[in-house]
This record gives sequence, structure tokens and C-alpha cells, in this order.
Amino acid sequence: MTAGGGRCLLAVALAAAWISGAAAAASSSAEQADGRQKSVKCMPCSRPYIGDAYLDNTLTGQLAQRRDLVEMSDSGELCKGLAEDVKVPVLSKLRRQLVGEGSHRRLVYSMDFGACDGAMVNFLDGYDAHLVIFEKLPDGVFADPFELQHFVERKVFVDVAVFGDTNLELPTALSNRSSVEIHFDLRLIISTDCNLEIDLPLHARYPPLDASGYATVEFGNPDLFLQYRKKEIHSDSCLWVIKNLKAAPLEKAAWRIPCGDEAHIGFVSSITFLSALVCSMSIVLAALIF
Amino acid sequence: MASAAAVTLRRVVLVSAALRLALVVFGEWQDAHLEVRYTDVDYLVFSDAAASVAAGGSPFARATYRYSPILAFLLLPNSLLHAAWGKLLFSAADLLVGLFIDTILELRGIPEKMRMWSVVAWLFNPFTFTIGTRGNCEPIVCAVMLWILICLMKGRVLQAAFWYGLIVHFRIYPIIYAIPFVIVLGKGYAGPVGRPTLTMWRSKQQLQNDEVSQIEEPTSFVATVWGFLSNFISRNAILFGLLSGSVFFAWTGIFFYLYGWDFLNEALLYHLTRTDPRHNFSIYFYHIYLHHQQGFSSIQRLASFLPQLIVQLALILRFSRDLPFCMFLQTVAFVAFNKVMTAQYFVWFFCLLPLILPWSSMKLKWKGLACTVVWMGSQLHWLMWAYLLEFKGRNVFVQLWVAGLMFLAANTFIMLMVMKHHNYTQLFSLPVKSGNKVATKKEE
Repeated sequence: MTAGGGRCLLAVALAAAWISGAAAAASSSAEQADGRQKSVKCMPCSRPYIGDAYLDNTLTGQLAQRRDLVEMSDSGELCKGLAEDVKVPVLSKLRRQLVGEGSHRRLVYSMDFGACDGAMVNFLDGYDAHLVIFEKLPDGVFADPFELQHFVERKVFVDVAVFGDTNLELPTALSNRSSVEIHFDLRLIISTDCNLEIDLPLHARYPPLDASGYATVEFGNPDLFLQYRKKEIHSDSCLWVIKNLKAAPLEKAAWRIPCGDEAHIGFVSSITFLSALVCSMSIVLAALIF
Repeated sequence: MASAAAVTLRRVVLVSAALRLALVVFGEWQDAHLEVRYTDVDYLVFSDAAASVAAGGSPFARATYRYSPILAFLLLPNSLLHAAWGKLLFSAADLLVGLFIDTILELRGIPEKMRMWSVVAWLFNPFTFTIGTRGNCEPIVCAVMLWILICLMKGRVLQAAFWYGLIVHFRIYPIIYAIPFVIVLGKGYAGPVGRPTLTMWRSKQQLQNDEVSQIEEPTSFVATVWGFLSNFISRNAILFGLLSGSVFFAWTGIFFYLYGWDFLNEALLYHLTRTDPRHNFSIYFYHIYLHHQQGFSSIQRLASFLPQLIVQLALILRFSRDLPFCMFLQTVAFVAFNKVMTAQYFVWFFCLLPLILPWSSMKLKWKGLACTVVWMGSQLHWLMWAYLLEFKGRNVFVQLWVAGLMFLAANTFIMLMVMKHHNYTQLFSLPVKSGNKVATKKEE
């Protein structure tokens, strides 16, 4: 559509590619690690978002991507020793539901982290830990970054970022896809017996025209990560450890959105213009008569 | 008598202020406790933009902020003092509109009781007090527009021009009043002492007792066109045009210098070219949605602009010398034929309605009530379909579009009824027509 729109699309594609890559790397690491999940990466604390790792300098193309790849490479020098011998929470159950009617709905994630035992409490006492949800939104659905920012202000989320097309007013045909990254403070799960429910408010764009009267958009699987770092850290060597929380594929969530019908173009346009003409002429005549 | 009037007005304003304050407090509570917010989503946009300015950034860093940066500056205390500051500011402007209505009607010789009813029609209109307390900035525009009218009525042309240039920069739509303003500032504006003479209101009984009608009949199109052209070049009209234009360009220049194309695109050009495919009261919304993938031809653009232009020109040529009445009709028509129409726009003409009520022979029983029912009914009908589309996800685009057409018909019906029952009275008396036909009131 525009240069800006293209850039957004590229950014989302890159972020999605990295996450897929992380999942693949995690998978191979896990196999090598004797059944234990070792899908671990590290990221400097200066980078606030996982999706952000690929969003800087996207205009400079391959070079920038390669630099980030080196910086983010798993089990690299940066990561060495950080993720060893730490018993981290394990996601035992994940459900996702699209709740609500009409153009404004919520994706509700229900998660279970197993038993809230002493090891869990110790981990959360010693580490800053965030649950990170990265949802790649399908065409025709958007998250309002400003609405989500108010969730951060109300301390529902630690942080939120929306990547890609954040123009909230455009119809689907004129907009690009976007992704949303939510950071949730994991300490809060202690008070809920290690069960967690997170709401992500979403909104529908006007879909392209279709004779069926409805467009259906489907959500793919979200990516979930555990992001943690020791509470006592030195700012010059601060690193987030990022672990991919592998969850079984979710049931697809589908959203039916009403759309216009191309067959209406002729009569809608002509009657609209005729009505405007008749009403305007009535006013002109009345101005002359009264 | 005058003191009693002041006390009554003060009471009305105090009760209105208390009502608004209570609604602002209630809004804060609702926002904190209920899922559905009381606060208008635009208020959050203004507040975010103000926060961005407070942090040394641009208000346009906030997506969908499409207003003058002045608004973000006015709302800086939202970040520094309290988030409800803007609502209190807008509600204060809302109260000011009530006081200005009283001032304008007093200048035109309306009796105290009738003035009070007109002020009440604004201050206790549920549309207006909810708009301000939910955080919509329109009451500021209304207050400035009425202040401009007061300035013109008192002969303060330069001050009127300053505020007019500023308010067109701030909200653009008042540009529709430019021609009527220039017409009334023509050669007949200033009386023998160099100040305008106002035509005073006369009661129905007085009018019946007079042998000759005291009401100035609207002049014919040809006469008005000729009058306009011959009167166009007057000192006041030129001064008004030059100063208001300079103020408009000065503010626009300053903000272009500060915020560049972001400002020009978002605050100005966006409004001039706006076409919204999402549902709104406008008859054009479904047409725009159906064409959004293929674009619009020049003929389609012209076809949607022409009715608007024709109606504006007809109303200006016919009624401009009855300035408040002309402004009211122009605003209703502008909103009704606009390509985008939301409920907040209704406030633009609600603030002018009390200024024409004393000149209307329409009684509340039953014609007034019929107009209200038709207007509200067609709006509720539209809202029902909009609710089914937006909150229930039902495909009712055609029904919603028909409801929009019905709302346009309702607006047209109201305009015809208002025109039929209005006693045309020029705001300013032409010097040659003085004498016993018009009472005059000099500026204090």
C-alpha cells in the first residue's frame, strides 16, 4: 500500500520468522538435552520486546538481520551459564478462546503452571519472570496499542507492544497484518494457585466485499515464552533468558465478520445520490418559498 | 427585576455546574469499575497526545490524534494535575455557552423569561451535558463561535476576526460561516456612529398590533447576490477577511514549523479529504465502503459534494442577514450532508438552536414535539441497526444504510419545519431603515 505499510509487513514477517526459528532451534536443543527442555535464548535487557529484536533497522535488510541473529543466537557466549540449574515453571495446560460478539471481542488464554510448590516460589523470589504471549493476528483483526497501554497503567500487564499496522481505522483491504506481544508478571500466579487467565481485547476491521455476507478470520497458534533474569543484576551485563514454552497446538479460533456485498454497489450508490439530491432540492425550494 | 433575573440565571448555571461535576465524578467511577467506559474514546486520544507533549514529544506521536496541537496544550494539566482536567475545561466551556446564549438574546431584546428557557434548552440538553463531561472538545468550539457572534453584535470586528481565524484553525468546519460573516460586515453593517445597530425582538402581539410588518422579509436571490457583490468591498469585511486569514495561517504556520507534515496531514488535510468506510450516521458510509477497494471516480466525488454546496449557497444567499438563523440552518445542513457524521457534530447546531427559538412560531404542542420525536426516533432507529452490526456481528449493512437515508429525511423535514415557522429578522438594521420600524441598541 505505502512504504510505511510495506515496512510494517516486513517487520511482522521477520518477527514471525524469528519466533518460528526460535521454536525450531528450541526443538533441536530439546532433543539434544536428553528430554529436558533447553530451548533457551538470551537477549540484552536493553531490548524490551522479543518481537523487537528484528524490528530495528529492518530497512537496512539482510545485514541487520544477520547482526541480530548473532546477537540472539541461542547457547552463545552471552547465554553461557545463565540458564543452568534453574528450575523454571513449566506450562502444563493452555487453552485459548475467542469470547464475545460483534466487532469487539477478547482472546482469553487460560493457563495452568502445575503445582505451586516451593521450587516455584523460590524461582519467583529470586528472578524477575515474565510470561510473554506473542500472537500473530490474522488479516482483518487488530489490537489497539493505546487500549493495551491502559492495561499496563492499571498493572494488568507489565508491558505490551503491537508490531505491524497499527492504523486502527483502515479496512482490511487497505491494511497490513499485525502482531501483539504481552508481558505478564509471573509472580502474580502465586495468588491464583498457578492458574492464569489473560484477556487480550481485539477489534475487527471492515473486511473486503464478499457475496456470502461474512468473512471468516482464523487465528494460528500463539507463541509463549518465559522471560527471566536474576533480580540482582549489573546493568552492563544484564541479560534476559528466554525460554520457549512449548504448548500443544490449540484449537483454531475463528471470527465471522459481516461484510458488504458487491451486488449492492449499483442501487446503493444511485439511491444515495438521488436521496441527497431530492433532500437538497427540497431545502432550496423551501428557502425560496418560506 | 434585573436582579431577580440575575439570581435565576445564576441558579440555573449553578445547578448545571453541579450536574456536570457530578457526571465527571460518576464518569471516573464508571471508568474504574465497569467494563463500559463513560469517557469518550477521543478523550483518551487527547490525553495521550497531551502526555506526549508533556514528555517533550509531538501530539501526533499518538495515532488518530487529528486536532490542532492547541488542544493537546490545553490538556497538559491532564498529565500534570489530574486526568479529569479536560472534562472540567470542556464542561466550563459548556456553561460559558449558556451564558453567551443569554448575552446574545439580551442584546437582541429578548425578555428575561424567554431567555431563561433558551439557556435551559442548551444547559439541560442531555446531548450537550454528556458530550462535555465525557470529554469531547466541541463545547470549546461552540463557546468561541458564540463569542464571535457577540463581538460582531458589539462592533468588535478585529476581535471577532482573531477568534474566527483561531477557531477555523482549531476545527475547520466554521469555515462555512465565512461568507455570511462577510455579508453582514458589508456596507450596511456600521451605523451612523460607526457601530452596528441591532434589530430588536418584537413579541407576537406587538407584531400583530403594527400596521406594517416589523419583520424584514428575506430578499430575493437576485437582490441578495447583487447586494452581496456591491457590499463586498467594505472596510469591515476586508479587515475581517485579512485578519482572520492571517490568524489562521499564522497558527497553521507555527504548528507546521513545530510538527511538520504530521500536523498538516493529520490536523488539516485529513479532515478535508476524509471518507470513512465504517458505519456512521452519514448516508454515504455504505457507498464509501462498497467502493473502498476500487476508489472513487471524479463524477462520484462531485455527486457527493454538489448537494452540500447547493444547499449551503442557497441558505447563505437567502438568510445570511438573519445571521444566527442562517448559521443554524447551515450547520444542520452541513452535518446532514457530510460524508462523515457522528453524534458529537450535533452539538455544533444545538448551541445555535436557543438563538433562534424566540423567533419561531412553532409551539411545542404539537409541532415542536413532532419534530423532536421524528429526529430522535430516526436516530434511535439507526442506532438499533448499528448496535446489531457492531455488537452482535449481524450483517445489516443495507438496513443501516436505509436508516441513514431516513435520518437525512428527518433532518430535512426538521429544516423545512424550522424555516416555515421562523420569523425572518435581520440581525443588524440597515441605517436607512431606522426610525420606528426597529428599535436600536447601542453598544455599552
